[in-house]
Amino acid sequence: MSRTLWDPEVSRRSFLKGCAICCAALGLSDDIIPKMAEAATSKKRPPVVWLHFQECTGCTETLLRASHPDVARLILDIISVDYHETLLAAAGEQAEEILRSTVAENSGKFVCVVEGAIPTKDNGIYCKIGGRTALEILNEVAPKAAAVIAIGTCASFGGIQAAKPNPTGAKGVRDILNTTPVVNCPGCPPNPIAFLGTVLHFLTFKRLPPTDRLGRPLFAYGRKIHDHCERRPHFDEGRFAEQFGDCGHKNGYCLYKLGCKGPETYSNCPAVRFNDVGVWPVYVGHGCVGCTEPNFWDTMTPFYERLPNVSIPGGNGINNSAESFGKKALGITGAAVAIHALAGIGKKLAQKKGETGDE
Amino acid sequence: MDYTVKKVWSPLLRLYHWTFAISIGTLVVTGLYIHDPWTNSTLFGTGKFTMALFREIHFSAGFALMAAFIARVYLLIFGNKEERILSFAPVTPANIRNFFSTIGYYLYFGKKEHRPGHNAFAGTFYLLTLFFALGQILSGLYLMYPENLSIQGMGLALFGTQQEARFIHHLIMWYFMLFALVHVYIVIWNDIMDPEGLVSSIFTGRKFFEKKAGPSA
Repeated sequence: MSRTLWDPEVSRRSFLKGCAICCAALGLSDDIIPKMAEAATSKKRPPVVWLHFQECTGCTETLLRASHPDVARLILDIISVDYHETLLAAAGEQAEEILRSTVAENSGKFVCVVEGAIPTKDNGIYCKIGGRTALEILNEVAPKAAAVIAIGTCASFGGIQAAKPNPTGAKGVRDILNTTPVVNCPGCPPNPIAFLGTVLHFLTFKRLPPTDRLGRPLFAYGRKIHDHCERRPHFDEGRFAEQFGDCGHKNGYCLYKLGCKGPETYSNCPAVRFNDVGVWPVYVGHGCVGCTEPNFWDTMTPFYERLPNVSIPGGNGINNSAESFGKKALGITGAAVAIHALAGIGKKLAQKKGETGDE
Repeated sequence: MDYTVKKVWSPLLRLYHWTFAISIGTLVVTGLYIHDPWTNSTLFGTGKFTMALFREIHFSAGFALMAAFIARVYLLIFGNKEERILSFAPVTPANIRNFFSTIGYYLYFGKKEHRPGHNAFAGTFYLLTLFFALGQILSGLYLMYPENLSIQGMGLALFGTQQEARFIHHLIMWYFMLFALVHVYIVIWNDIMDPEGLVSSIFTGRKFFEKKAGPSA
């Protein structure tokens, strides 16, 4: 505790506040807060190694830009991030040395955080750091970690790099590692609370939080956005925005008809919100785009339609909305039925004519 | 002309058929509403939960479909001779022959092969429809119970994410609409071409066969 008390950057008050936020997000009782604070400041706490691969650094940015300084400081100062390429003062050989020594000294104890997808095509040559491919670095560092946390959709499921046609063969961490436990904190970017909650859960209880079948911690990704959205009453009562800027939109009605993917997306955005000012996409009038789901660039687009397009078999990249595809199929079938009926009538008429002709 | 009466469809099969048909009709209409709600409102405090109501009807009809599906699967194994799977599945030589001769008959070539139950061509599509009904049931359960981890495991293995399951659920709905159109047409066509009381058989369970021809199967 002493370090926290004397730390000029984090006051004890704001540090405890950060712990309390995470405790609430995890759904734990108040009693856990002191234990969590102790675990987070313990001298024996595991260091964190943060690896960057195919990514935009947006996940790191979202932590740094958190207007709530407590959360970011909690991650960066209290939990010792020993290696983080964006924040590291060291460069070149020095940085490589820090990674090597941290991994060697804390083998089997440190937490490995991965940000960004890992290209696997052509032996992973599409992402290299210090002459080594992302695949090599991950395979060297991650098996020595106590746990791996994949932060962001790219590290979890491949993200935009893995969108069709996935030219670099990008994959998420769980598709590559099968030895070390991996927890996914997807999102583009993910909520810092989901990430921090996972880390603090690990520090406090020495195990990772329970997850769903996609490896996402249940405390943050156990429920769909739609099921605790503040616009849900408008949905149930049938009040919808039809277009951006129309009367329904101005009145804050449900964005379902504008292609909101809340009903298909697991996340706690409506409860935890972003940037500590209580906002999240649906709150400010834009539908959810489903960024915490696997393949979301392929399956959640077009963003302003409910369903992805149907690609026409044999057509060269021709696709059609599911509804007009269905209507066309129904039309063609109806026409086929009509032709069949007409052929039957035609045959009958021809037979009758033949019969009368014979007589 | 002399006719013999033959009892072919058991009460359970007829109950299955109408539960299946009515639930599909309900599911298609309410499902299309849920997909793209065609109403809108600015009213508050009226106590009209339009979307919630459509969803409730959809879910109830879904459970009715599930019950009908289970009844039909039971009859495939334990039903009477005409209802059992081997009497129409295109797996036996006689059924395979009947499959192609029926296609010929439907295209105005060749003669009808008289059978008391389903012909193999129709039977194949009935089995396909049951398969798609299973797809709708499982994807529907996945969409309805998103927080159940066992169902999530099943859904992820069979359909993918919620969005992909929703997409498949929507596309299979169009199969049912196509099936209903073609099914009703072919049944009426059959009744006109060969009066054996096909349409009324699904209400009464009885079919009529000419004494001369008689049921060959």
